[in-house]
Amino acid sequence: MAKMGLLITPEICIGCRSCQVACKAWNQLPGDRTVNLGSCENPPDLTPHLYNKIHYVEVPSEKTEGRWLFVNQRCMHCGDAGCMKICPAPGALYRTKEGAVGIDKEKCIGCKLCAVACPFNIPRYDEQGKIAKCHLCYDRIANNLTPACAKTCPTGAIKFGDRDALIGDAQKAGYQKLYGQEDLDGLGALYAFKDPPKIYGMEEKPAIPETVVFWNKVLKPLSYIGLGGVVAASLLHYVAFGPKKEKEEEGRKDG
Amino acid sequence: MTNHWVDLRNADVVMVMGGNPASNHPVSMKWIMKARERGGKLIVVDPRLTQTAAKADIYAPMRSGSDLAFIGGMIKYIIDNNLIFRQYVVNYTNAPFLVNPDFKMPGQLDGLFSGYDEKTRKYDKKTWTFQMDETGVPKKDSTLKDPNCVYQLLKKQYARYTLDKVASITGTPKEKLLEVYEATGATGKPNKTLTVCYAMGWTQHTVGVQNIRAFSIVQLLLGNIGMAGGGVNALRGESNVQGSTDYGLLFHILPGYLPTPIATVPDLKAYTEKFTPKTKEPKSVNWWGNRPKYITSYLKAIYGDKATKDNDFGYAWLPKLDDGMNASWLMIFYQMSLGKFDGFFAWGQNPACSTANAGKVRESLGKLKWLVNVNLFDNETASFWHGPGMNPKEIQTEVFMLPCASSVEKEGSISNSGRLAQWRYKAIEPVGQSLPDAEIMNELYFRVKTLYQKEGGKFPEPIRNLTWDYGEKDKTGKIKHLDIHRVAMEINGYYLDDVYDKTAAPPKLIGKRGDLATNFVSLQADGSTSCGCWIYSGSYTQKDGKVINMMARRGKEDPTGLGLFQNWAWAWPVNRRILYNRASVDPSGNPWDPKRAVIKWNPTKENPQTGKPGVWEGDVPDGPAPPLADEKGGKLPFIMRSDGVGAIFGPGLADGPFPEHYEPLECPIEANPMSKQRINPVINPLLAGKFTSCDVRYPFVATTYRVTEHWQTGVMTRHAPWLLEMQPQMFVELSKELAADKGIKNGEKVTVSSSRGSLWAIAVVTERFKPFKVMNTTIHQVGLPWHFGWQYPVDGSGGDSANLLTPFIGDPNTSIPESKAFMVNIEKARG
Amino acid sequence: MDDMIRKANGFEILNHWALALSCILLSITGFAFLFQMKEVGSFFGGFPSMRLIHNWGGVVFSVSLLLSMFNWLKESITFDADDMGWIKVAGGYLSRKVKVPPMGKLNTGQKFFYLAILFAGIAISASGFVIWLLPANKQWVLVSHLIHNISFIVIILAIPVHMYLGTIANPGTLRIMISGTVPYWWAKKKHPKWVQDVETRKAGLKST
Repeated sequence: MAKMGLLITPEICIGCRSCQVACKAWNQLPGDRTVNLGSCENPPDLTPHLYNKIHYVEVPSEKTEGRWLFVNQRCMHCGDAGCMKICPAPGALYRTKEGAVGIDKEKCIGCKLCAVACPFNIPRYDEQGKIAKCHLCYDRIANNLTPACAKTCPTGAIKFGDRDALIGDAQKAGYQKLYGQEDLDGLGALYAFKDPPKIYGMEEKPAIPETVVFWNKVLKPLSYIGLGGVVAASLLHYVAFGPKKEKEEEGRKDG
Repeated sequence: MTNHWVDLRNADVVMVMGGNPASNHPVSMKWIMKARERGGKLIVVDPRLTQTAAKADIYAPMRSGSDLAFIGGMIKYIIDNNLIFRQYVVNYTNAPFLVNPDFKMPGQLDGLFSGYDEKTRKYDKKTWTFQMDETGVPKKDSTLKDPNCVYQLLKKQYARYTLDKVASITGTPKEKLLEVYEATGATGKPNKTLTVCYAMGWTQHTVGVQNIRAFSIVQLLLGNIGMAGGGVNALRGESNVQGSTDYGLLFHILPGYLPTPIATVPDLKAYTEKFTPKTKEPKSVNWWGNRPKYITSYLKAIYGDKATKDNDFGYAWLPKLDDGMNASWLMIFYQMSLGKFDGFFAWGQNPACSTANAGKVRESLGKLKWLVNVNLFDNETASFWHGPGMNPKEIQTEVFMLPCASSVEKEGSISNSGRLAQWRYKAIEPVGQSLPDAEIMNELYFRVKTLYQKEGGKFPEPIRNLTWDYGEKDKTGKIKHLDIHRVAMEINGYYLDDVYDKTAAPPKLIGKRGDLATNFVSLQADGSTSCGCWIYSGSYTQKDGKVINMMARRGKEDPTGLGLFQNWAWAWPVNRRILYNRASVDPSGNPWDPKRAVIKWNPTKENPQTGKPGVWEGDVPDGPAPPLADEKGGKLPFIMRSDGVGAIFGPGLADGPFPEHYEPLECPIEANPMSKQRINPVINPLLAGKFTSCDVRYPFVATTYRVTEHWQTGVMTRHAPWLLEMQPQMFVELSKELAADKGIKNGEKVTVSSSRGSLWAIAVVTERFKPFKVMNTTIHQVGLPWHFGWQYPVDGSGGDSANLLTPFIGDPNTSIPESKAFMVNIEKARG
Repeated sequence: MDDMIRKANGFEILNHWALALSCILLSITGFAFLFQMKEVGSFFGGFPSMRLIHNWGGVVFSVSLLLSMFNWLKESITFDADDMGWIKVAGGYLSRKVKVPPMGKLNTGQKFFYLAILFAGIAISASGFVIWLLPANKQWVLVSHLIHNISFIVIILAIPVHMYLGTIANPGTLRIMISGTVPYWWAKKKHPKWVQDVETRKAGLKST
């Protein structure tokens, strides 16, 4: 099966937030009580009940008007997924056949390590402590339907399809290189940026945090090497030096 | 709209002014973005950088209430730079008509037109007329040079709107004005079109109608009316408000835009005399000349067999307005405040939040004896009596709640901005005891009718004689459940008798007795046809014996490639998708723009109706008559106007035949830079109650607007958790500069007040509002949404309605309140 | 029959086994998490229920660890010259013949072991509770998991050594944690200073 993906084009996003609502509708997520913190960006961050949202960026300029950008934020479905690397519970985070990073709440143990490993700070945890994030509407895509956000987007700012074809479309539209085209073994969510990623609020060079690398490359080996080493050393010691047997007579002598 | 939603994608320039489609009609942005994909340009003119402006190629900031100056400058630019589509203007508009030489304009009368009476604040329009020739048709100068011709008068009027003056009034930088004028002016070419999208930003002013008129003049000068990707397009603010005006829910019209009868017009003959326009122009279709057919058919629809020739078809039973009576929305509450109403049905509405000067409205509701709230939810209107500042002990109003069904819980049609009536199906059963509105009306009708039968009463005939055949009846004759399809058929109309086309020899049968009417062309004035709303005739009809609900069709064919989708649902009139499309062709019937041909005359193909050669292809033509150049039968394109041409000079309005800039009732500058008349001379400030202008206590210009996440007063959307989560509280947007001046931080609570009321709001300090330089002063503007109300969330955390601040004054033609430009103060909230 | 002396009371013994068994359970389940061992997971009824077992096992571990302080903390922080001497000969474990200086209730190695387990145990418990109970916060989660894992490494190194030294490497030691008594002569050999202490206290009691 060809790898599927999302193409997100902020230049044609109008910030209507149908994607936010369609996702909630499909996943039957509740609405939360919020307050207006001085912007229409509510809730201000992804939550266990909000798998994708629009980030509003006012780019000031010296001319009369600046720019107002609308950037969809969500799980990037990384090719090299830090969350999958670090997850201790097999099957809680898994790769679907379309290439998405799916979640299985039943298998999740709620250790929250995925939040540490994610370069984009995506995983959130629900009332049971289980992971909550965009799963690319795994049930819809398995049945040849489009994810809810892409389906509802009126301008096509979120497009779902064959990843290579989406890259081709974007290049035809004049975008030389897409954000996520190669990073992290290719992100499932590609962004067509006109300006540097920083302006849109995205990391220039997203990478799995060093600690996860440390984890996988140092800590894990250390544990089993350590355990094995210590057991082996003990056996070796027994063979080389033997037990310390105390003899009774000596004890009585000292009285 | 003259055009329709999908048509936006055909435009070379999309002009958005007084509207914000990205926020309020997001699906329409699909079409606007497609226009851009095809190389089109999006221009947005707005006081702030909106979601639509964020996608614009050109964004021009403009102070609220200065639209006419902006557009006036555009007209001057188009004329000065010779950008008019000359052939179109000369042949299809009244630009060549010669005007009465006694007619004087604001340049000569310091802001007034001739005929003004200061005492009554009204115009005597006897000078606003054309010079007529011997045949009774206006004199014309096709060279457009005569100093009394409309075109020269137009030029003189807008010569005063120089770039400097306009920039100084609007606060828009001169370079921006030129950028906009250049881009729009370029569409005067025959193969370039401009579409204009507007909404409440234009209509909700004391010069609202003139705002729209002004841009209609631009569109006529550029030859964009009737073209694909052209037209004057209102973005209607509710999914079915088009339907509400089509079916005559406003006080001054009956269904199908027929005028409501007035007291001094005592019978049907007088009615048709007074309201049927006549013309001596042989090439004018003057379609309103068919008025008698429609009023009679309407009477036959509502009074059925009881309406006969002998009783004037029941004309006496129609409610009538007193002469000159204004029973518009604002006037209702004005009268209510004087205690003139016993009862009030707040039917699917929330006036305590939606009406200007909402505080006064809430007080007025307390003067009622009873109030009925027909709604999905309790709201600020139904609960007005225990709202903030109310003392329930002093209020005697009895309030009833009739729960009604939502649009997904019932079947019926919805008419969108593009005049497209789409049939909707019932998805689920209504909740609890709630009923569809039609069922509630059915219940009320039979109870009132029974009371009249039992108790008698004054003038029962208008109620008792109504045909009300819309479903299966029980033993007492009451309809058990309303069948909305029967209502739709009543609206379409029936042949009550065999109807013949008497012009043919021998007379041709065009309608069989008992059949559904084909369309309004076959309606008669002699009582042999019925039709509930003539413009919808043809929407639920009969073909070859089969009944077809045209509005339920879902055909996706688009042979013209222009997105007309003629087999998808049904548009009025007679499924015509682009109005005035006869103006999209030259007098010989060839499209001005062959690449976007809306209609095209095929002179050799046989017309299936007449059997003669010559037929129109494409959209339903605006009348089947041959092109204008045809000696015998050629007709002018603007068929709804008595003279058949587009009105650049428009004498039908209360405030002038040409738009003239006046400041809003509450304005930030001492004097109107254009003339001595500071405000619209025809509005009556005495009825407005409290208002302030150039008052240091209220120094900032305010406007109101909507957000994507909420709808109208928010009664439905505040109850939707997904939506309330995104926009939880009342807010006010202000510039960084104003916030700095007032020491206001982003996200903190502020108090916004006008001379009528005050409320709290969360401050949203933004780059997207910038101070305006108007008449050498810095003017700050703020903006507020009007979606919130104290009643829900019940802890009041959402805030209250912006209409507590808005002024109680309306446009002199429509009475729509001036909610888009008024003066406020903003301070950090205390405590 | 040998004369016996009581080295550990019932409370000490029960607490030790609570600590030891919970530690083993936590190590096994912890290892299964670290290396995504599916068979271990299914043995415990799936990873989510294994996590519950790990969490509550951790409660038992934490409580018994705290209680253990009453038993061994005082002794483990008391050091003298003999402890220095013990270190110098590596506790006698690197030769068949070397003798160690006289030891108290706990020998130097046992003291160090206890302190290691105590600190690593407190670290692993505290970090475990943070992971379990604190709402997700990237910084806290990261630090807690790191501490949890590093302490785990300390424990996983120390425990096998402890098990070796407490059983086959030093015959006669295991019974301390079963019956709680050891032969008097054995105690005099292994923990002479402690035996002396006990005798002095017994004599002191008799004289009063």
